[in-house]
Amino acid sequence: MKIRKRTFYRLLLFVLPDFLLALFLVLFFFTDLVSDFSIIMLGLILALLFARSIIYFIKSWFFYNKRVNLITNALYDIKKGKFILPKIEIQHDDELTDLYQEIRTLGKHLDSIFTAQKDEIDKFNDVYNSIIFSISSYFMVLNEFEKIVFATENFCNKFQFDQEDIKGKKIDDIFYFVNARLKGGIRQVRETGDSIILEKTHLLSINKVSIISDIKISSISVQGRREIILLIDDVTSKLRKDYQISLMSQISESIQHDAEIERVLYTILTGVTSGSGLGFNRAILFLVDGEFLAGKMAVGPDSFEEAIDIWSSVQVNELNHSNVDSEVKKHGIKLLEKVLSTKYSLKEDNIFIRSYRKMDSIHIYDSWTDPSLSPETVSFMDVKEFVVVPLIVGNRSIGVIAADNKFNQSPISNDLIELLSIFASQAALSIESYDNLANVRKEMQKIQERQEAIVESEKMAAVGRIAAHIAHEIRNPLVTMGGYANRISQLAKDPARSRDKIVNAAEIILKESQRLERTLSNVMDFTRPAKYIREFNNINDVISDTIRLLKNLFLEKKIVVDLDLKGDIPLVKSDFNQMKQVVLNLIQNCIDATTPGGRIGIFTDSDDENIIIRINDTGSGIDEPDPNIIFEPFFTTKITGVGLGLAIVKKIIKDHNGEITVVNREVGVEFTITLPLPA
Amino acid sequence: MTRLLIVEDEQHQRELYAMELQDEGYEVDQAANGKEAVEMVKSNKYDMVIMDIRMPEMDGIEALGKILSRDKKIPIIIYTAYSNYKSNFMTWTADAYVTKSSNLEELKDKIKEILVSRAV
Repeated sequence: MKIRKRTFYRLLLFVLPDFLLALFLVLFFFTDLVSDFSIIMLGLILALLFARSIIYFIKSWFFYNKRVNLITNALYDIKKGKFILPKIEIQHDDELTDLYQEIRTLGKHLDSIFTAQKDEIDKFNDVYNSIIFSISSYFMVLNEFEKIVFATENFCNKFQFDQEDIKGKKIDDIFYFVNARLKGGIRQVRETGDSIILEKTHLLSINKVSIISDIKISSISVQGRREIILLIDDVTSKLRKDYQISLMSQISESIQHDAEIERVLYTILTGVTSGSGLGFNRAILFLVDGEFLAGKMAVGPDSFEEAIDIWSSVQVNELNHSNVDSEVKKHGIKLLEKVLSTKYSLKEDNIFIRSYRKMDSIHIYDSWTDPSLSPETVSFMDVKEFVVVPLIVGNRSIGVIAADNKFNQSPISNDLIELLSIFASQAALSIESYDNLANVRKEMQKIQERQEAIVESEKMAAVGRIAAHIAHEIRNPLVTMGGYANRISQLAKDPARSRDKIVNAAEIILKESQRLERTLSNVMDFTRPAKYIREFNNINDVISDTIRLLKNLFLEKKIVVDLDLKGDIPLVKSDFNQMKQVVLNLIQNCIDATTPGGRIGIFTDSDDENIIIRINDTGSGIDEPDPNIIFEPFFTTKITGVGLGLAIVKKIIKDHNGEITVVNREVGVEFTITLPLPA
Repeated sequence: MTRLLIVEDEQHQRELYAMELQDEGYEVDQAANGKEAVEMVKSNKYDMVIMDIRMPEMDGIEALGKILSRDKKIPIIIYTAYSNYKSNFMTWTADAYVTKSSNLEELKDKIKEILVSRAV
């Protein structure tokens, strides 16, 4: 077995001096060998022992320190977050080494806990970030001094800012103007702590990027300080779509409502200038008018103050017909006046005529230096950059729209011009359809006139028809009378033998002549303008009188009469006998149509303006598409009828400024008469 | 003996025509409306029908159509108080259109004329 060097040194240091001391003491007590030499020996041994203590102390001190340092460092590392500690070669097993090992184990535990936590945090961070960045809303945090602490990347991209640069700036520094509502909103949220939402707020950055947004303002407390969070939703395109739909529907609506063309044009230009529309500052519309291109409408502020006034107004202007007029009056009066008084001959050469003729848009970047512009045009537009687009329908142009950003001087992008052109073609269609509508109206007018002429000739035809009917009604009794008269003249040759026959014939002639008289008086009543005796009559009396007259007929046909006359009915100015004729004819009609055992109802009523008489039956009804045809002269379903009874009724009622209608009921018909009360 | 059918809703007129035509030597039957006339033509043989237009139940034009659909050859004279339908009688395939008159000579002449032309 090989003795290791260390063991040997240990033996030498710890065992050898003790052995030598023991040997010396044995020799000292049991022998006399101890002499001077022995004293020297003792001293030597003691020196050896002392040296050993020194070495031992030094060695212990060194190792202790080293280990304490190690632990101190380990704790320091852990404090710093370095949990994995180095493994050390253990030379001496003591408490400190154990402690170090414990600390090392603890470090390992901490490390695994920390790693796990860190993973969680990282994951959460990822989720959080992806939430922040995936929402399309812009997100901005302001500190207690309303300076920007954070703004999302998409916000900076949209408004063309550097994400780092805008930190520490105030919102006044990044927006061209800050809507008073937004400022007030931030203040309100800071004071109350409640969140608020500002809808459809106009934001215009110093880089001239403009959006309409819904802004949610809320506050959070960070270490006792109130920070403001702005969540900005860009609703421009949504509004634009809504707007265009509503614009189109409103344009067509205004057309349907026969609105003035001005209203249609105003609506169109509002679409060009409104923030939710195309967002131009000003828009001017010219339309071809004969040989001219004439200014027809303009929308836009007259001055920067007006512009700010419009932009900071409570909300982005919604299209609303009711306030169109007041708005026109409120802003841009000078512009409108100027435009309305402008008229260019189509033979002239200027930018509007050019755009109209070439049917293409023209973009002027700098009108101050552009050689193609006449001084008149330059002073007319009075703006550096503007665009003119034609209004095209099919393959022809009907006018132009000019638009600019005079007040915010935002550059006009090609995309915007593209949009304006599309918009202009829609607008052109609307204008065209308005024009078409106007033409259609004119045509309608003509047709109506023609129709009236036709009606007039129809009336003539009706007169012919009526004449034929009258002729028929008169001829029949005449023929009979003439025939029998003829016969009498023959029979009279032998009067004694033919006496009875002659009497019979004479009676027939008499009857027929009476019939003829009746027919004639009916016809005459109908055609001759009646002379009415107008007095204040109680319509209930008229009805009671008539019913008394018809009492026997009701009994004969076993017809039940339901009578419900309103008491205290107002008197109506009328001809008593004519009204009796009306009621008589109507009831007579009902009796004729009603089978025995049926019912006839007669009711009177009144409201503030009219007296109402209703007469109904349980008869056979009217088998005609429009039951009111029965009021036509000579319409009859009766063999013996002339077809004048109800026509006379209608005429009398009309002469009293009243109305009569008839409807089929489930069984039978109902006549309704309304007679106006004196005003 | 020549047998005629008078179709007329006005009783007095019908009887007058019957008397007058009987005096002329015809045998005369009477119908008060188109429906009756159609029934009578079914069961009797007539040499001629004299037809009014406006009648209850069935008017003369409808009756005329029904009669002709049974017997195409039977002569029919339209005799009416309407003077304004005269241009229509050809389309109704009637043989003559005579407007009513207190003087029956025109009717009597027409009857003779048609009977003669049929006989030839």
